[in-house]
Amino acid sequence: MSSKSRSKRKPDQFDFVDKGVNDSDSSESEESVYSGLEEEPDTSEEDQEQSSNQSDNDSSDNDDDEDITLDDKSGLELSTEQRKELSTASDDELNEINDQRYTGNVKSQNRKQQKQITVKTADRPDEYDYDSSDEEDIRNTVGNIPLEWYREYPHIGYDIEGNRLLKPEKGDQLDEFLNKMDNPNYWRTVTNKMTGQNVVLSKEDLGLIQNLQSSKHPDSMAENYQSSKHPDSMAENYQPWIDFFTHEKMIHPVTNHPQHKRSFIPSKWEKLKVGQMVHALKMGWMKPTKAKTEEEEEENFYMLWKEDEESEITRRYRAHLPAPKMPLPSHAESYNPPPEYLLTKEEEEKWQNMEPEERRMNFLPQKYPSLRLVPAYKRFINERFERCLDLYLCPRKPKIRMNINPEDLIPKLPKPRDLQPFPTAQAIVYRGHSDIVRTISVDPTGQWLVSGSDDGSVRFWEVSTGRCMKSITMETGSLGNMCIRSVAWNPHPDVSLVAIAMGQTVILVNPGLGDKMVTNNTDNVLHSFSPTEEESMGKKVYADWSSIDTSDKRFENGFRLLLQHPKEVSQVTWHGRGDYFASVMPKGDSMSVLIHQLSRRRSQNPFNKSKGMVQCVLFHPVRPFLFVATQRYVRVYNLLKQELSKKLMTNCKWVSSMAVHSGGDNIIIGSYDCRLSWFDLDVSTKPYQTLRHHKRAVRAVNYHRKYPLFASASDDGTVIVCHGMVYNDLLKNPLIVPVKILKGHAISHDLGVLDCVFHPSQPWVFSCGADTTIRLFT
Amino acid sequence: MADENTPHVQAKFFTKQSQYSIPDTPYSVPAAVGTSELSSLINQILKGSDDSVDAGIEFDFLLDGEFLRVPLDKHLENRGVSSEDIVEIEFVERQPAPKPEDSLLHDDWVSCLQGCKECILSGSYDNTVRIWTTTGAPLLTIPGHSAPVKCVKWLSGDGGPTCRFISGSHDQTILIWEWHREENSVECVHACRGHAGSVDCIAINEERDKFVSGSWDKMLKLWSAAAVAEGDQEEQLEAPTKKQKISKKVQTRVPVLTLSGHTEGISAAEWLSRSEVCTASWDHTLRLWDMEKATQTSQMQGTKVFLDMSYSLLNRQIVTASADRHLRLWDPRTTDGAIVKCTYTSHNGWVSSVSWSPVNQYLFISGSYDTVMKLWDTRSPKAPLYNMSGHEEKILAVDWSIPSLLLSGAADNHLKVFQYNDEKHGT
Repeated sequence: MSSKSRSKRKPDQFDFVDKGVNDSDSSESEESVYSGLEEEPDTSEEDQEQSSNQSDNDSSDNDDDEDITLDDKSGLELSTEQRKELSTASDDELNEINDQRYTGNVKSQNRKQQKQITVKTADRPDEYDYDSSDEEDIRNTVGNIPLEWYREYPHIGYDIEGNRLLKPEKGDQLDEFLNKMDNPNYWRTVTNKMTGQNVVLSKEDLGLIQNLQSSKHPDSMAENYQSSKHPDSMAENYQPWIDFFTHEKMIHPVTNHPQHKRSFIPSKWEKLKVGQMVHALKMGWMKPTKAKTEEEEEENFYMLWKEDEESEITRRYRAHLPAPKMPLPSHAESYNPPPEYLLTKEEEEKWQNMEPEERRMNFLPQKYPSLRLVPAYKRFINERFERCLDLYLCPRKPKIRMNINPEDLIPKLPKPRDLQPFPTAQAIVYRGHSDIVRTISVDPTGQWLVSGSDDGSVRFWEVSTGRCMKSITMETGSLGNMCIRSVAWNPHPDVSLVAIAMGQTVILVNPGLGDKMVTNNTDNVLHSFSPTEEESMGKKVYADWSSIDTSDKRFENGFRLLLQHPKEVSQVTWHGRGDYFASVMPKGDSMSVLIHQLSRRRSQNPFNKSKGMVQCVLFHPVRPFLFVATQRYVRVYNLLKQELSKKLMTNCKWVSSMAVHSGGDNIIIGSYDCRLSWFDLDVSTKPYQTLRHHKRAVRAVNYHRKYPLFASASDDGTVIVCHGMVYNDLLKNPLIVPVKILKGHAISHDLGVLDCVFHPSQPWVFSCGADTTIRLFT
Repeated sequence: MADENTPHVQAKFFTKQSQYSIPDTPYSVPAAVGTSELSSLINQILKGSDDSVDAGIEFDFLLDGEFLRVPLDKHLENRGVSSEDIVEIEFVERQPAPKPEDSLLHDDWVSCLQGCKECILSGSYDNTVRIWTTTGAPLLTIPGHSAPVKCVKWLSGDGGPTCRFISGSHDQTILIWEWHREENSVECVHACRGHAGSVDCIAINEERDKFVSGSWDKMLKLWSAAAVAEGDQEEQLEAPTKKQKISKKVQTRVPVLTLSGHTEGISAAEWLSRSEVCTASWDHTLRLWDMEKATQTSQMQGTKVFLDMSYSLLNRQIVTASADRHLRLWDPRTTDGAIVKCTYTSHNGWVSSVSWSPVNQYLFISGSYDTVMKLWDTRSPKAPLYNMSGHEEKILAVDWSIPSLLLSGAADNHLKVFQYNDEKHGT
């Protein structure tokens, strides 16, 4: 055993018996601890001993230990086994002396064992036989690498000369099994990864492993080899614990001094102190502490949420924002920059002439032949100061990134399928007109449809079959322009009248369709009218009323009343009760809107001043309001109070049409700039929603009277039907979902669909267009 | 029959037509077989057993009450039937194709029509009612209404020197006419006044002594259809205080009963039994009325406007035509809710009118605004048996009162007659 290895040896290192050399070995690395595991000569008795009860085993070991301690002194009469154990466990200086003495004996026994092993493993001579080196990790110079890298090679590493160390031959599964059955030491045989040889663990090794497994100090055996007399206790690694200051009350004092006399005598100094205080109280120098009043107690406030308020310091630590880093110096800053970084004369001049703020670089790159020649940087203080100013004056704020999924921004709309019924397909085409059909209207029962066309005819259709029941062709004569600009069926079910706007006239026609009684009643009422002269006297006559005589040829066509207007009439619309109707003259300036009363046959001009070119007017369905749409705004007038109650900003360039919801709180506006705006009158004067589904000018908009539907007709030849649910709950916003684009009309003269009207009771929409047809979509 | 690689199905054939009965043995037929191959197979079998049977008969095949219209394997797949088991296939002789026979030209749109033995009655938008022979000869043109005629019905047309019929019109009146066949003269006997809207439908009960009319004014009215003398008496009994207006020998008749309930116009009415009437309306409902108690008994809710309805006495079912592309089959005997038993979809426009076959419980015809009349079998919901085209405009009315004639009237002023020879039921 070399002195070198001895000097390396430390008491806490593991010891192994080197089978071949029979030398206790020291190793420095953890790896080599296991690489040093060697077979140990062992008997079957030991095996039994080991497999028997742990405590028994330990106690037997203890006996041995005691023997050994004795033997160490005597140095005589050791049994071979005991000596062997000694040798395997010997680490202490004491044992070292004895080592040499009995190695011989042990060796001889190991030889016997060795023979058995060699038979088992291979024919190859064991490398340990000829190598006496105790540092076997030197043998395999493969280094500290994972040994599985050699798994597929026949060798396991290299020796110091670089020759391959071949793996010992391994038996197959059968050998393994036989070995398992026959070899009593099989359970404690492990393979040395470094050499590939089988090693039988010694008793001490097993003890170590057991210690490790039971979380004890691994080398307790070595440490307390002599000192510890109770290796079976957990405290074998430590000094025995004496519980001097126990929490248990002891009946006997720790010290046995008798109590001092002064502990029985009252203190003189305390008495003096108390006397002084009593005197001070008497003299009023000292005042007794006030008893706490209730108020004070009640005012014992505290911050309930104090924990939530971070102190300024912690907040600053937590939300620390590091100063932005200075840019790192580049090549230009170098004392010896590459020539391309150096400025030419012109550039330098230019740099000089620039304002300091405008300069791209705040220094001039300069070249020095050596670092030694670089002068002190003049601007250092300035730059530091500027940097500090920057940091101080520019507040830093954490950038909060908005993590919004773009899809979340899209409102969740119900599927159109769930919003049935709405018109989906073209059902009937009403053919007969020879020119652009500008305007249509449905009678309140939904049986008839009236249409006005540029060919100067008004046609009445049966809705269910598409049959033209009646056609009235207007006479040219004095009326000039023959275009029918607007038709409107009286909404009252007991009145059978249609208002037709053509040129400067508004004609009231009794179509004679539907209930005979209603038709006759209407005629009778119109006949029985007797003008009351007093009222009309002294008042300006805005429109000239004239009734058609029964003898007149036009009476047969249904003409009943003519209203001659001063200017061209673009629109007529009825009030819900059917007595009033309004006509619009866009060029009429201050007279652009006239309200006519049928029962008294008189006309009123509600506005003195022109507020712009009036596009269309509408009566509120339930309240005495009048909506007047000019080019940009919609004004809501209270007809009773005769005042402006609201002005809606349409946000569009030119309003074309307007429709009011049957509830009266929502209106939609179509405009020539392709938009449809929904207004909620209760909420705002700005559009609640603007729909831009049409590609060209919106010509007409309409609400359904019963179903939550509205439609818009456009010059792009389509009618778009939208679901527009208005809830009674004021807090709930209307639900607007476009549900269907209805195509069918052809575009001619750059005009598409000019009007659209809903059927009063069914979810059907009629549309008329420049292709001279009227279409019903259901 | 075919090479062995193709999948085969075990099929057993049976028929209810005794002249075609074949032995009850299963045959292995290729799975992808169609109707024509099966038909030739049956023909072969028939030929083998009995030489007298004329080969080349076209058959139709029924699986679980539905016609085979696609190859057999597809059909089984669609129906979720295993092709491993023996498939029982009923075969019936194919319905013969209707042949266009005649086209009767009117002056205006034909809005309504009904056939009766040798005569056809048609109402037109030129306010007239016309009588034609089934061979296409015009017999009479009757002006009388002041507005387009919406419905015509034969009151008594079988034999006898005088026939009676009823017509309803947009002018809100119903006229009862008497036609003297020999003299070929007609006279209006009664004018039934009371409706406040166009009269859209008339239905006469089986005893032919009463009829109901439905109108756009949402009312259903019951009238007496009795002859003149009886009518007079009845009216005097019923309304002794009310004096009858007699003008131009036309007696005005008032309704026996007026029933309200519909919220829109009534488009069709049918008698289901002695006292029960079913009406279809634009308010999306079918309502059943008891005429004796004068109450509404039940209601079936649809989703679309009903344009027409027909009731078959043979199978006691109702087929309706709606303002969409579908025909729907209803059973009025089920009282709980609206149960559409089947939907027949093939038309491309509103189905304006529908009529059951008077003799075959499975067949009905429908006319649509897509100008096509279709012959349907209730067992073939996906496809009609035959399409009958010829009209150039919307079909407004169809009728199958004469078992051998299918009639259709359209907005192209034509009334088309199709010959239909249902040999099975025809004789």
